[in-house]
Formats: sequence, C-alpha cells, structure tokens
Amino acid sequence: MAGRTTKQGRSNPNTGNPGKRGPVGQDEEEQPLQAVLIADSFNRRFFPISKDQPRALLPLANVAMIDYTLEFLAAAGVQETFVFLCWMSSKIKEHLQKSKWCQPTSSNTVHIITSELYRSLGDVLRDVDAKTLVRSDFLLVCGDVVSNIDITPALQEHRNRRKREKNISVMTMIFKESSPGHRSRCQEDDIIVAVDSKTNRVLHYQKTLGLKKLQFPMNIFHNGSNEIEIRYDLLDCHISICSPQVAELFTDNFDYQTRNDFVRGLLVNEEILGNQIHLHVTGEQYGARVSNLLMYDAVSSDVVRRWVYPLTPEMNFTDEEGQTCTHSRRNVYRGADVSLGHGSQMVENVLIGRGTIIGSNCQISNSVIGNNCTIGDNVILDRTYIWNNVSIANDSNIMQCVLCDHVEVKQGVTLNQHCVLAFNVVVGPNLTLPEGTVVSMHHPDEEEEEDDEDEFLSDDAGVNNDPLKTKTKGYSSAELGSEGKGYIWRTANVSEAEEDELSQGLWGLTVNLDPESESESEVSEDSQEQDSRAASPELDDVNVFQVEVMGTLQRGMEESIGCDNLVLEINSLKYAYNITLKEVMQILTKVVLEFPIQQQGQELTSSQYSPLLIPLLKRWTPVFKNYVKRAQDHMDCLAAIEEFFLERVALWAAMVKVLMAFYQQEILAEEAILRWFSQGVTSDKSKLLRKNQGVQKFIQWLEEAEDESSEEDGK
Amino acid sequence: MELQAVVMAAGGGSRMMDLTYSMPKPLLPVGNKPLIWYPLNLLEKIGFEEVIVITTKEVHKQMNIDTKMKLEMVYIQEDADMGTADALRHIQQKIKTDILVVSCDLITDVALHEVVDLFRAHDATLSMLMSKTHEFTETVPGQKGKKKTGEQRDFVGVDSSGKRLLFMANEADLDEELVIKKSIMRKHPRMHIKTGLVDAHLYCLKKSVVDFLADNKSITSIRGELIPYLVRKQFSASTNSQKTKDDSEKNQKKTDLKTPDIHISSKDEDLLDLAREKSCWNDHRGDMSDAYHGGKLRCYVHIMEDSMCYRVNTLAAYIEANRLAPKVFSEELPIHPTAEISEQSMVGADSIIGAACHVSEKSSIKRSTIGASSCIKEKVKITNSIIMNGVTIEEGCNIQGSVICNQAVISRGADIKYCLVGSGQCIEAEAERNNEVIVGIDQLMEI
Repeated sequence: MAGRTTKQGRSNPNTGNPGKRGPVGQDEEEQPLQAVLIADSFNRRFFPISKDQPRALLPLANVAMIDYTLEFLAAAGVQETFVFLCWMSSKIKEHLQKSKWCQPTSSNTVHIITSELYRSLGDVLRDVDAKTLVRSDFLLVCGDVVSNIDITPALQEHRNRRKREKNISVMTMIFKESSPGHRSRCQEDDIIVAVDSKTNRVLHYQKTLGLKKLQFPMNIFHNGSNEIEIRYDLLDCHISICSPQVAELFTDNFDYQTRNDFVRGLLVNEEILGNQIHLHVTGEQYGARVSNLLMYDAVSSDVVRRWVYPLTPEMNFTDEEGQTCTHSRRNVYRGADVSLGHGSQMVENVLIGRGTIIGSNCQISNSVIGNNCTIGDNVILDRTYIWNNVSIANDSNIMQCVLCDHVEVKQGVTLNQHCVLAFNVVVGPNLTLPEGTVVSMHHPDEEEEEDDEDEFLSDDAGVNNDPLKTKTKGYSSAELGSEGKGYIWRTANVSEAEEDELSQGLWGLTVNLDPESESESEVSEDSQEQDSRAASPELDDVNVFQVEVMGTLQRGMEESIGCDNLVLEINSLKYAYNITLKEVMQILTKVVLEFPIQQQGQELTSSQYSPLLIPLLKRWTPVFKNYVKRAQDHMDCLAAIEEFFLERVALWAAMVKVLMAFYQQEILAEEAILRWFSQGVTSDKSKLLRKNQGVQKFIQWLEEAEDESSEEDGK
Repeated sequence: MELQAVVMAAGGGSRMMDLTYSMPKPLLPVGNKPLIWYPLNLLEKIGFEEVIVITTKEVHKQMNIDTKMKLEMVYIQEDADMGTADALRHIQQKIKTDILVVSCDLITDVALHEVVDLFRAHDATLSMLMSKTHEFTETVPGQKGKKKTGEQRDFVGVDSSGKRLLFMANEADLDEELVIKKSIMRKHPRMHIKTGLVDAHLYCLKKSVVDFLADNKSITSIRGELIPYLVRKQFSASTNSQKTKDDSEKNQKKTDLKTPDIHISSKDEDLLDLAREKSCWNDHRGDMSDAYHGGKLRCYVHIMEDSMCYRVNTLAAYIEANRLAPKVFSEELPIHPTAEISEQSMVGADSIIGAACHVSEKSSIKRSTIGASSCIKEKVKITNSIIMNGVTIEEGCNIQGSVICNQAVISRGADIKYCLVGSGQCIEAEAERNNEVIVGIDQLMEI
C-alpha cells in the first residue's frame, strides 16, 4: 500500500486547516493557492454514456469522479478553485452545490464558471487570462483525475525555480513512475520524455502512440548538460503546476488547444520564448486520469485495492449520508442494508453500495456494485462495474463490463468482455452479447448527424437541444433479446467512423496491443539495417557512388547536360566518396552498359540492346576519354565490360557490337583489346565468352587490320 | 585461465605525428617509461601471467620492458593498414578463452576488476571501460588558441543502473535526430544519455566474438564497427530468438551469403539458464519478463567517475599524462641511481631524472621529466617540460612547457617556451622560440 504513509503529514481538509504548505519566502506576499479544474473532457471518449451524464459525474467506486479531484485539491492545500463547466453544466453545478465543497465550512472555495463556448482546454485558459482569475501559481487539473499525490515538494521546487530565475520555468508537470505495461498506464497517453536529470527540466515530450522509433532532436543535447535521461516509465497524472504566464501564453498562441499543444509548442519555441517546463516525478503516490473505460477499470480497481489511500471507499470523504460502508478482509466493502443471499460469495475486491440485494449462490469478484441494485440467483460477476438501481436477473454471467444506472439484465444473459450498457437499457432474456457490444437508448444515427456539425464538439453539446429526440425505430429483439430495449452502437459506428476514432474506442486500445507481434515485425527491418551497416564502409561508398553516377547520367540525358559538366560532377562525386580512379572507370563503364537495362527492363534481348546502347556510347565518348587514358585504364575498362557480360549470358551476342563501338569511338585501342583477349582469361566462363563467335570474328578482324597497318608501316 | 590478455601496440599514432615520426607510439616515454609499460603493468598487477602483444617488428626490436609476464609477440606488417579487428582476426588461432583487449596507449589506475566483474556477473558478451572527458589545461605546442573540444561527441545510453550499455552513436553519424527504438525503451524505460565520455579502449570480449570476426571479414575496427554492432545486436530479434532454428536452416543462411550472425553461447549455458530460471534475481524491474528479457547478447560498461584514465593519442594527452602519470605510478625512485646530479643544482621532488643523466651546477628542474643519458649543463632552467633520451642542453637555457625529443641539442642561452623540438634537431644559441613545432623538413607531414 504505497499511499498509506504519504497522507500522514497532511492535514484533514475538513478541519478547516488549509493544509500543509511549503514555506514561502518571507519577502513574497503569500497568496492562497488556486486551482483551475476543468470539468469537461472536450472529447467523446465516454459516448454514449456521457450522453446522459457528464464524465465528471460518472461514479467511480460509487463516488462521482469530480469529488476525487476536489478532494485531491483540498488535500493539496488549494484554497480557491475555479471549476469550469461546459457540457451538462447544470447537472454538475447541481451536484457541486449539494456537495460539501459549497458548504461554508469548506476550506476550498469553489467558484463555478459556465460557458457553452468552451471547446478546449485552451479556451478555458484563455478565459482564465481574460478574466484575470489567477494571481499566482495555480494547479491545473481535469475533472476526472484521481490522485493522492502530495504536491508540496513539487510546488516548493516550482517556486524555488521561479524565484531563482524569474519567469523562466512556467510549468511543472507531475508524473508518476509506472513501468511500461502497468495497467494504470493509459496507452493513449503513452509518452516519452527527455529530461535533464540534474534540473528536472523537460527537453523533449512526445506522445508515442503508434511510433516504433523515437526521435530526439539533436539540439536537446547541445544545451550544456551531459546528463540527459530518456524516460518511458512515466504516467502523466494530468496535474500541472502553472504560473500565471501559462494562461497568457495560451492567449498569445490562440492555436493551442490542449496541454499537449502547449508543451510541444513551448519546447519547440524554447529559444524564442525562453520559457522552460519542468517535471516532478513521484514514485509511491497515486495519480491517474480516467480518460477511457480501460482507465476507468484500472482506476476503479486501484481505489478498491486501496492504492489511492486515503481516498478509499469506506472513508466516505464526500461526507454524504448513507455512503458509509464497512471494510473487511480481501478488500470487501459493504454499504448499509446490503443483503446477501445464501451461498453467495464475495471473493475479493468487491464494493457493494447501500440497499443492494444479492440473491443466492452468486460469485462476485473484482467488481463494484452501486446503490439499490437487485441481483438474482446464480449470477457470476467479474471485473464488472454496476452503477445504481440496476437489476440483474438469475443465471447471468457478466465479465468486465459497465452497466449504467437503471439497466435491466434479464434472465440467462451472458455479457462478454468490454460490453457497455448505457442508461436504462434492457437486455435479455437468454442472450449472449459478443465482446465489446455497446448498447444505448440513444440511436446511433442521432449521433452521426451531430458528428458532422463540429469536430471539436465539447462532450455532447448538440444533444442538449433535444435530449428526448427518440426515434421511433423498433429495438432489435434479435440482438437484444425479446424484452430488449436499446440500440447497439458499436458495429454501426466502427464501420463509418474515421480511422482516428476507430483507434479511440470506448475501451481504449490496450485490448490487444501485443508487444510480441511488434517486435516480430521489427525483425526484418532490423536485419536489413544491420546488414547494410555490417558491410565495410568502403563497399557502401562504392555502391552509393554507383547510384550517384547513374543518377548523374540520367539527369544528363534528360536535361542534355554537356559532357564537360558530367565529368565535373563525376569528379566531385569521386572526391566525396573517396573513390579511386580505377573504380571510377569500372563503375562508369558498368553504369553505361547497364543504362539500357535500367531504362527498358531486364528482358532486353541482345538484338534490342545494342541499338539502345550505341547512341549512348557515342554521346558519352568524351566522358570515357577523360578517364580512359593509360594502357592500364584500357585494360580496366575491358575488364569491367567483361564482368558485365559475364553476368548476362543472354546479351553475349551484343558484346561484339559494344566492343566495336568502343573501338570506333577510339575509347579503346586495338592493342588493348587484343591484349585483353589473349591474357585476361580468369575463369572458364570468361574463356567461353572469348569463344563467342562474334568476339572471335571481331578479334580476327582487328588482327588483320593490325597486320595491314604494320605492313603499311613496313613499306 | 579465464581471460587472455591482448595488447594492441601496432598503431601508428597518427594523431600525434610530430612525436611519432621518429619513435613508434608504444615506445614514447611517459615518466621515463615506454607508453606500453602502463597497460602491461596494469595487467601484471591484477595477476596476468601471459600477454599477447600485437605489434610491429620494429617496435619489438626497440622494446625493452621489465616484466615478469610472459609476452607473446605477434607481428603484423607495418604497412598492412590493419584495423584492430583485423588484428584480432589475425590471432584468432591463439585465442582459447574470452579475451581482454587493451590498447597500448591507456594509462589508468582503474580497478580493473570492476570491468571484469561486470563481464562475469552478467555473462556479458562485451564489457568495456569509459571515463569522463578530460579538459587539458596545459598549453600545447604549436596549437594556436583553444582547441574546440567535443566536436564529435559520442552518445552513450545506459540503463538506470548505469552499467548496461543500451545505445551508442557518434554525433558524426547522426543527422538532425537521435533515434531510439521504442522496443528498447519498453525493455529499459529509463535510459541515461551520456555525452562527456571517452572510450578507454579496454574491452572484455567473449571468445565467440572473435570467432564471429573470423567469419565476418568486413569489420575492420573494434571501436568503429564491432562495438556499435554488438550494442545494436543486443536488441535485434534474431539474436534473441531461442535457438530453435535447426542446423540446416543455419547452414542455408550461410550459403545465402548473408552476414554471418553472431552466436553467443557459453558451454555452461544450459546450467546458467536453469540457475536463472530457479532464481528470483532479475536484472530489471517493471515488467514480468525473464532476466535480460531472454536476450543472449549483453553489453556492459563501467564508467569511471574520478580515477585517472588517459588515452595518450594526442600531443595534449601526452603532455598531460607525463605530468600526472609519475605521481600515480611512483614505485621507483624519481632520480635514477646512476644519474649524476650536481649538489648545487635544484631538482624538484616532482621531477624524474633518468639513468646516466648529468645535471650540472646551478640548474633547476621543476615538474619535468628528463630521459636517460641526457646532459643538462650549468644554469639551465627547466620547468614543466619533457626531455627525452640523449638530449643535450647547454648553458643558460630556459625551457618551459616544452617537449624535447631524442638526441636534440639545445645550444647555449636558448629560450624555448611551449615548443616541440623534434628528435635530432639542433636549436641555435640564444634562440628565442615560442609556441612552435620545430622538426626537420623531412618530418613535416605530407598533406
């Protein structure tokens, strides 16, 4: 129980003490700590549940999420909280006004600010700036954060930094250590952070969702620090300590929508704006944001398992009457007036709200059941979250599902993993719902229409206008059972939704993120990379050079660049890749000979090949002449020609034409060709090549020509 | 014999040409001992009895080292332009066990067992030694202004324990970004990227690595190619996949002319695996995988915090090493018994005088090293300098912060500050030289 020790130093907010705070410099006027709480997620992750109830009010272990956040703020010593409401503001307002936070005894004064116009966190902070609500450093949290983190040290660090260097550090983000693969890690929030380990300054911040390779700009390594740590074990708690400048910066940069935009923007423009962001990492304490149902599952079970101590179910920190419950072994909590039938077992980690009746021979594990529910006989529940006034008939089997208020499950229903039954849905009897089924009383089409209106729709803005626009379509009794009421959401939505939304299902993506498969796919990529690296760099250079020469010649063709310029370019390439003259010649010969093949494809026959090549040769004769000068050059060039033809037996017939062309263009001298013919035999194959009829004839012809010329000389 | 020691002493010292022109790098005197004495001494001290020294014939001819160890000399051609990995391949037949490779230019007082222990404890494929970069404070002859340091830094990524080597890249190989695979981060979620480190060129390597080198001829340098390859290979799936591939497949791979894969296996592997399976020990925390995530290839690094560690591969490092080495390795008398020191001269306790030296009256020597058979005449002042063997310094000279190579003659009254005087050079009388490199015409490096 990591959280247990941490609370001791903190005062109980209910006694009116504003909590322990770090000593603030005497010369500085002590300002009460303020917080900005955004009770809207500005996304639709909890659709269709959040159609009927805003996310902040969804019960988590039978307590509304916003109550956890407010409790955290009070424990952190916040004295003034601005709660910003948008979607379903009246409901949240009503909730808050009833709660203890609005009582005069509350240590934390809650101001409620409502506007239908907020579309993002950015809008809210711009409004904070416009209204100049904050006077000094403030905490920025969302209405769905569950945490027991003691922010005193972080706040102290933040203030010290601010004092040391005025207005440089604008934000301290709070992270929790959590290894990859931990269940409380939200896959969508997966981040990688590069941090200066001495100063805790954030140098790079990136969401890694869907990335295989992580890239860090070089400039983060140039700022003088040589102790940089890259951390992938951090969970973003979505709690940040901000200076008033943060609000101003949001005003200045009207395109910042989310905190992510802000952080990225600030880091990229750091040199211009001169602002820095720091982080604080907590190891033992708890902090998480309920950003999707998977996180809802994880955080709920953490609360029941007491990781968030002292925010445990039996504490009843909301001071609500009738919410008390008892805590017994294996983390079993029972509210008042719970009746448990004969033979029913509460295996472990179970929370049952007040007035709930459970039949006989049930097996309940790792589940939360709300108030006034009725559960029949022989029901099996595992990792299931049942809200208030739900009734489940006999012989049901429910695994890892969420059942909202007033849901009715008839007899003999099996719900597979990740099913969601939204408010007032009825299913059954005798039915099995496949994995991931989402059922709501709202028709999915309703939703589709509204989707088009505004991309940045705040939670559910549009629905507000006509919440009772129920379409008179019949419920599908085949899918939901003969007495079923509701519409299946998932299937229709997935096919039509954009890819982005597809990846952001209600349950998040952890469902099948199999690390094995990923590493498998990396194999091929990996081995390629290594192979190319393993080869000696020399060879690489030669290859690159060849490709470059090819490109140069191609460009030369297309743009009809003069041979002089081509020579210049090849020479500069030669120096760039450190290629010897001999190699230049060999590669040049090879590239030119391959040129028709590159252009026309491999299937070239010898009769097609030579007409294509010879004009090229004529065109580039000056280039060759530039490189083929000494006797050895001639031999090297011939060797390259031979090598080329040895690889392509099909083109042997064309060899004589090629040799002839080289001879006629006076690139190769006849003595060289004769010498090559008589001496250069290296293998059986090259012997065979020389036996080629055309070549034989050509050589014969050359020899005769030579005889003639020598005879002439003799005369 | 657990480890075979290999000393690499065939390098030409291309970064300090003025010094190594006349004398091979392994023999450069540091505190009146040849450079190669230091790595040999390091090995001897921790109990090695045999050492393989890879060197050239020329070096061996001139080498005269007093050591109890059995030195097995292996020659390579001076002009063969062999890399360090080539040299290892060259002696593959002699390698029977895992090896410890040391470069001849390493001067360190590291507790060597730290490196070896890492190698043993983790059954590592590679363990190496690194130290913090040094700022050289002394003025370096012939060097105008401050040299830019850290132009091409190495990026070294280690895990949270600071021992496991996860990542290595040179700044020169990187463009705009440093790229790390996410799968590495998943296995080792905290990675420290260190920049201010130098590689000491001391490596423990598994025998299988040498065998791998023999198969893979394209690798020429240990530091430049082999080490980065091994570090990368730690996380490539092909090495880590269990050895389920049957032999025929392996053979096929080889015939495919692919780069031969490295096969790390030790003879006790089954036993070690069993021990690891039965033990609750793990090298990492945070996930439930087996120790080392089932990987067989592991690289470790020991990073020295504050011991002394120099690689004498530049003139600046050479001067610095001369200044510091005698303080650390002062087992012998600073003044050789055969040296003749006039009673009226002043020799500081921080100076070293070699055998058969002659120091005349009214001379003062401070913070300097004087090589064997050198002759210092009257009224000479030497501070912060390195005088090699057989040097003659005539009356009234003033030498400060300089390096005087073998057989040089400094004529009377010369004033030499921060200079490098090449071997056999003669400085005329009353000359005033400041911050110069004085070598013969023929020694000037061809450019």
